[in-house]
Formats: sequence, C-alpha cells, structure tokens
Amino acid sequence: MIKKRLAAAAAMATLAPLTLAACGGGGSNEPGSEGSASEAVSSLTVLDYYTESPSHSQIGDQLQKCGTSIGVATVDHQSVPGPTLIQKVLQQASSKTLPDVLMLDNPDIQQIAEAGALMPLGDFGLNADGYAPGPVSAATFDGQLYGLQPGANTLAIFYHKDVLAKAGVQPPKTWAELKTAAKKLTSGKQYGFAFNATADYEGAWQFLPPMWTNGGDETDLKSPQVAGALQLWKDLVDDGSVSKSAVNWKQADVNDQFIAGKAAMMLNGPWQIPSLQKAKVDFGVAPFPVNTPDQTSIAPLGGEAWTVPVTGDNAKMAKAAELVKCMNTDENQMLRAKQGGLVPTKLALAEQYKTEVPSMAGFTDAVANARARTGKLGPKWPDTAKVIYTGMQLVLTDQAAPADAMAKAGAS
Amino acid sequence: MVTHQQRLAARQTRRGLRTGIAIVLLALMLFPVYWMLNISLQPSGGTLPSSFFPPQPSLAGYTTAIQDQGQNLVTSMVIAVGTVVLTLLIATPCAYALAQFRFRWISWALLAILISQMIPGIVIANALYTLYENIGLLNSIPGLIIANAAHAVPFGILIMRSFMLGVPTSIVEAARVDGAGLVRAFLSIVVPISRNSLITVGLFAFLFAWGDFLFALTLTTEGDITPVTLGIYTYLGSHISNWSAVMATAMLASIPAIILLVIAQKYIAAGATGGAVK
Amino acid sequence: MSDAETLTTATEPTRPSSDTAPAPRRGRRGEEIAKVLFVVPAALTIIALFGYPVVKNLAMSFQNYTLRTFINGEAPWVGLQNYVAVVTEELFSKALVNTALFTIGSIIGQFVIGMLLALFFHKNFPLNGVLRALFLLPWLLPLIVSSAAWRAILEQDSGVLNVTLEGLGIINAPIPWLTSPDVALIAVILVNIWIGIPFNLTLLYSGLQEIPDELYEAGALDGASGWKAFWNITWPNLHAVVSVVLMLGVIYTLKVIDIILGLTQGGPANATQTIATQSYQRSFVEFKFGQGAALSNILILISLVFAIVYLRATRRQVDE
Repeated sequence: MIKKRLAAAAAMATLAPLTLAACGGGGSNEPGSEGSASEAVSSLTVLDYYTESPSHSQIGDQLQKCGTSIGVATVDHQSVPGPTLIQKVLQQASSKTLPDVLMLDNPDIQQIAEAGALMPLGDFGLNADGYAPGPVSAATFDGQLYGLQPGANTLAIFYHKDVLAKAGVQPPKTWAELKTAAKKLTSGKQYGFAFNATADYEGAWQFLPPMWTNGGDETDLKSPQVAGALQLWKDLVDDGSVSKSAVNWKQADVNDQFIAGKAAMMLNGPWQIPSLQKAKVDFGVAPFPVNTPDQTSIAPLGGEAWTVPVTGDNAKMAKAAELVKCMNTDENQMLRAKQGGLVPTKLALAEQYKTEVPSMAGFTDAVANARARTGKLGPKWPDTAKVIYTGMQLVLTDQAAPADAMAKAGAS
Repeated sequence: MVTHQQRLAARQTRRGLRTGIAIVLLALMLFPVYWMLNISLQPSGGTLPSSFFPPQPSLAGYTTAIQDQGQNLVTSMVIAVGTVVLTLLIATPCAYALAQFRFRWISWALLAILISQMIPGIVIANALYTLYENIGLLNSIPGLIIANAAHAVPFGILIMRSFMLGVPTSIVEAARVDGAGLVRAFLSIVVPISRNSLITVGLFAFLFAWGDFLFALTLTTEGDITPVTLGIYTYLGSHISNWSAVMATAMLASIPAIILLVIAQKYIAAGATGGAVK
Repeated sequence: MSDAETLTTATEPTRPSSDTAPAPRRGRRGEEIAKVLFVVPAALTIIALFGYPVVKNLAMSFQNYTLRTFINGEAPWVGLQNYVAVVTEELFSKALVNTALFTIGSIIGQFVIGMLLALFFHKNFPLNGVLRALFLLPWLLPLIVSSAAWRAILEQDSGVLNVTLEGLGIINAPIPWLTSPDVALIAVILVNIWIGIPFNLTLLYSGLQEIPDELYEAGALDGASGWKAFWNITWPNLHAVVSVVLMLGVIYTLKVIDIILGLTQGGPANATQTIATQSYQRSFVEFKFGQGAALSNILILISLVFAIVYLRATRRQVDE
C-alpha cells in the first residue's frame, strides 16, 4: 500500500521536470496544423459561466439541439462560476486545451481577441448584419468580428408603482426630478433610490448610465461631464436618498433592498425580473433620466457572446462556427431572450419581441441604442474601468471632490 | 467541615456552570451560522432577512438542496476522507524524522516546507492544472485526493513535528535495544504516543479538503465530479443568486462532517505522552 | 531522568547507535537509508506540488507576462521592471500598511481568544468534546457562504449587528462597518479573527492535552495555581506548539484574499487592499501577471523573514 503511493508520488515527481520542459514556455500556436476539413466531427466542447439552474439546462438544450442540427452528435457543455471563467480559459490556453466554443462576457471579447486566442468569425462566413450596433462594436477588434451575441440586457430604473403613486411622484425623467423624487420617497427605513457602487467592474458598469447620458466619455475621464455624473451620485448619497452602503452593494444586493421595500427605486437590469415577479412586486420600468433636455438616455450593453477559440483543429473550428451561427438564429435568439430575460440583438426581431413580451418593451428600445463598453477603448477598457470605479468610490467616501476624483484615481 | 458529598456537589455545579458558559460562548461564535440558517429559510432567495426569526419560513431551499446535492456530498466526503488518510501516511514519518533524526539539512528542509506554505493557492492550482493535464489525472477523484493531500502535507509535517519534538527518545531507544527495527519502533511506539497530533492534523486535512474550492474548480473539466463547494454554484449565477438554496446546502452538508469531527475530537485524550515514560 | 525534565527540555535526540555497541556496517547503512525513506514520500510530494509553482512564480515576476503569453508562450525578460512598477505605485505603501495591520490584528485576536478558549476547555465538563467540535463548524462552510452571511450581518442600515447594538443602546448611529474607509479594515480583521479562532483553539487545545497532569499536581504541591501555574508550567511546555501556530498563522494570514474580496472587494476606496489582494487583482483582473507575481514574491519575502525567526526559535529549543 505504501509502496504504491511511493511509486505514484515518484512518478509524479519525475514527470514534473518533464512537464517543465514540455510546457515551460509553450510552443507558438499553429492554426490549421491538425484535422482536415473533411473529417467528421462527432463532438464539440463548450465552456460558459451559466452554472445556475435553470439557465444551465436551458443553454445545454439549445446547444445540444444546435449540435444535432449541424451533424455533431455530442456537445460537452461545461459551466464554471462567473469570476473564474477567464482563469479557466487561461489555464486551457497554456495547455492547448481550449474548448471549441467559448462564451465570453462582451467587454472581455476584444482583450481575448487581441491576445490571439479567438478566430475571426468572418473566416467562416459569419457576419453580424442586422444586429444592434452595440453587440457588433463590442465583438469587433481590428476590423474583424470575433463573437456573435444572441441576447443583450442593459440598465434601467425600476420603481415600486404603489409607493410612487402614494407619494404622488412620477417616474423621473430628468436628473433634477430624480433627486427630488428620491428625496421625497426617502422615509423611515425606505431610501428613495438604490444603485451599486462597488469597487469592481460592476460598479463601473452601473456608473455608465449617468456618465454617458451626460455626455461624458471613457476616453476623457477628467471632463466636466464626467464630473457632473459623479456629482449626481454624490448628491443622491449626501441627500440621504441613497444609502452609504451603496459602496458595498452588488446589483443582487440592490435588488434585495428593492424587494424588501428598503428602496423605492433602483438601477438594475431585466435579469432581476423573475425574482421581482416571484416576490409579487408591482414594479414599473423607466429609462435612466437625462440631465438636460437635449440629451438622450444611454445605457451600457450587457450580455454574452459565443466565440470560436483558436484550437488548431480546422474541422472542429468550422463546426464550432456553425454552432455559433445556430445559437444566433432568429428562433434561438427569441428563445434565449424569453428564457433569460434578455433582448434579441437582431433589430428585425425587436417589434415581434415587444409584442410577445410587452414587459420588456422598454428594455428592447434601450438595447437598440445600448453602447458597448469596449467600443472605443477596446482591450484598454479594463484599465479605464478601474479608474472609473476608483474615482467613483473616492467621491462617495468623501475623499475627493467630483472635479478631481478621476485625476486622483489615475485618469490620464 | 465540608463533607465529601458537598465537595462533589460543588464540583458538579462548577462543571455544569462551565458547560453553560461554553454553550454561551459557542452561541456567540456560531451566530453567523445561525444567520445562515435564517437566510436559508427565506422564501425570497435574497440575503436580506427581515428579522431575527424568519416570519414565513420556507423549506424550499432545503428541498432543492436535497434533490440536487446528494451526490456532491458523497464526493466531498470521499475526497476529504481520502485526503486525511494520504496526508497522514506521508506526513507522519517525515514529521518524526525531522523532529528526532539528526540530519544536517533539517533547517533547510523546514525552510523549504515553510516556503511552500507561503505560495498563494491560485499559483499552485494553475501549475497543477498543467501537470495533471499531462499525466491524465484531471477529472478524477484520486487526482483531487492527491492534490489536497499534497497541499496538506507540509502543514501536517510542521504541526506533528512540533508535537513529536516532545517524544522522549528514551522509550524509542528502549525498544531499539530490545531489537525492534526503526520502522517497527516508529509504528508501535511513536505513532500511538502521537495520537493527539495525528488526530489534530487529520482534522485539519479533512477541513482543508472539505472546504477546497480552488482544486475542485481547476482540476475538473467536465461537470461530473463536483464536491459541494462547486455544487453550490448551481444556485449562484453571475446575475441571479438563490441564497436560500446555497445556505441550505451548506447547512445540510455540514451535518455529516460535524458528526465525524465530534467523534474525532473525543480521541484527543489528555497526557498521552505522560503515561508511556513510566 | 524525571518525567518533567524529559518533557520540558524538548529533548536533544540521543546519538543513534554510537553510544551502544557498534552495529555491523551493513545494518548502519540500512538504517541510514531507512531514515531517509521516512522523508522521501513527503519530499517528492512537496517538490512535485510546490517546486514548479515557486520557480515559475519567480520567473514570471521578471517577465512581461500577459494574456498573450498564455497563447503563444512569449514572455520577454524585463528584469526588475515589474518590481519597480509595483513598489513605486501610490497604492503600494497603503497596501503594505494594511497588510501589517490586518496580520497583526488578526493574529493577536485569534491567538489570544483561541488560547483562552483552549484553557477553558482544558477542564473536564459535560459536553466538552461536542462543544469543542462545534467550534469548528465555521470551517465546514464554504468561504463564499461565510462572507455572504457576514455581509448581511454587517450591513449598515439593516444588518443585525447594527440593529442589535442600537437596540441595546450601545451606539446611537449605525456603524458603517463595510462602507467607511476608516472602519472597513477593522471589520475585515474582526471577521478574519472569527475565522481563525477554530484553528488556534484546536491546535492549542491539543498542545495543552500533551502536558501531563503530573506536572500540575507537582506544581500544586509547591503552591502554583491559576496564573502561576500557567506561566511556569503551561507556557514553557506549549512552546513548540505555540511557535508553530503563530508561525503558520502569520504565513496563512498574509495570504488571505477570499474573505477580504468577498466582504469589500478591496474597497471602499482601497481601504482594505492588502499586498495579497493586490497581487490577485493585478494578475487575474488586470492580467498583468508579471506584476502580480512580483507582489506575491514580495509577500513571500516578508513571510520568509518570519520563517527564519521561527527556525531560530525552535533550533534554540532543540539545542537546550
């Protein structure tokens, strides 16, 4: 017994230096080195972060049906927790075991594409014609399309219809109205408004509606428009309309507060609708207010896309591209949207979707204009996002004034 | 004069008082666990319980957990117990050697062991993925056991060594003089004397493996081997979370584990070394 | 030698074989081999698991290691550039201070409370074993579960801690546990102490159990009890266990990221950033792996200092 363990351990130990030699630096990738296009592909591997039920089985079913329709018998569907997806991708990349189809959150696509891990979908004859502009710009790097996103979501204001009616408050259309409404609705344990301002990409994401609506741009964070957006967040907290805990609330926490009646309005997305319906909340949805009448409400693009990693197996990659195309057909887009609380990204489906799911009408319009976070900065977005959430937190913890917070946070 | 019975009664009261205080201390310590129970009974699935006691307790989280997580519980248990066995097998002899043998390189060995404990877990997990991928140990329970045990071995060596420093060499020498080989002396004398430290290290090896998330995530690429730490992500999506099911799973999973721990604790007897020298 | 002497002077191992009649040469060599074999399985395991990561981490810190490297394996050598970049950042000194405060605060809290509890449980009373085992319950719960529960408890407006403190009249206004840069680090330290208590309690308790009752009885005859007994009998005998508990405690605490990231993500406004959280974020959120590796090596260096202190301490003990 002990001998066997010794042998196993010894085997592992001797293999370790061999592994070092084999994988120490990794070879350079050679696409097209194996697999002739005529070989039949019997299975594909898919990696995403839809771990939770029912999404996991819903996506799994869609993948399997698509697989069958393109002649692939088995589709291995693996889901890992959201924050660990990229780590997994990196591990697999360095050991050359990337999946055939990879789901990526839309702001990550350009960075992964820049690293050379994704195949341009144009090589397989796929394009994004007829898609809303947001998903296209998120998935385009260096002029090439790298991902197709079947469904999108964004942010909007949710409000308790009865609470607002009782206070005689209309859903706010301007920032001034937002501030007065939020203040009026703050009473007792109930705050007027709630949003997420955490020190991570989620906090940056939630800051984009005021920032973009006010004309601020991620390429120039020190501009007065961005400062104006920071001022709005600061005013709401200083007024007492938004709890100071916003710096620690994730979007899920904001939703919990809203459901529990501790916030009359919240900034959140349509994925919360199932829980709102389960808790029997009578909610209304309104677009994010504008600061001045000449502005339009701009919301950030959310949602995930399907991509084809560079695995070097031509036959499989071609089939993978077919799978991606299948997941983006009109029917599959509608199905995914209805199941996942998303909006189909093909503009032609918008009217039909609004008729079939009237509760999502507001979001459908918002998605058509939703703006991709990586649209202008591409792979450089994450660094900017860090500056945004750092600056925002400096303002909300009274460590910097809106005018110089972004500079203090490291804006260039 | 205090009678014998009075003294006995006084001692029993003192002991009963100690139990009472211990329960209060435990209650304070476990309050967050009570809060998890509270959250697990929430019908809404959020983490914001409205009060100390759930006004409308719902067992939905528990039914979901029981339906989904049975296999995962078994997986966690198998991996944890396997880790305990493997860790003790590897670490105990080494701990004794580093405590009692006179090698010139003991300090260096200890330094190497300590350095191994300073490495962030994720660095190890990433390197291990490549290694396992090459020798085909991915997606296997033995693979996870080996990884967890290898991770716990340095800890085990350090702890057991500190206990074994106190093992009197006279009794080992006595056995050797009587003709016992080194291994025999080790197995029949040192191991029983070090029972406390073995159980303690075994406890922690179990806890490390039970709570391991990193290796479980990294070293599996298909969904079929999921210990509980991974299994709870069935209820935690990147957008939506069902915390009552998560908490229910955590609570239920702890029950068999705590039973094992209670049993193990009973074996940490007093003064194991003291008796032997006589 | 009396029992007390044997145990209090953590013995210097007697020279093997050379004091008794010399064993035949082959037996001596066989014995030496057997002794080495005691160590071999452990050595192989440790080298296999930890050897490559240490070397790789060190190498990575001197390279420009990015996302691209994972794909094509190219990682140009940049010498000390990562270290310079990381150390000259404004956040570095803050993270360093936070790391020191977090570690010192956690260790003192965990150790003292763990020790007091271990002493408390040292006496025999009904349900002792069961209650002691239940103290380990926090370790049976996944960290993500514990941090979710603590976030709910520490929530400023409706968290049960503030509600209770206000209800009892201890405070007038809710304490911004996780939302104020001044308080957040304290909150995180308190939660980490909570997590560390079972570790200290269990190890120190086992150490206490090793001390034979005869020592206390002998001491009681000399009039030593309570504090004197602790100082003269318990503490010296616990030396080995205490030093390994403190040593490992420091090393493990320096590495902590999950609980901090779970509670505050390093915020608010970087108030709870430590070198460890910075290393993680640098590597796995910003994909600057070279810098992340540099930070984790700096952390290892700090741990090494403590390790050397520990080794000095136990070596002195063995030589006594």
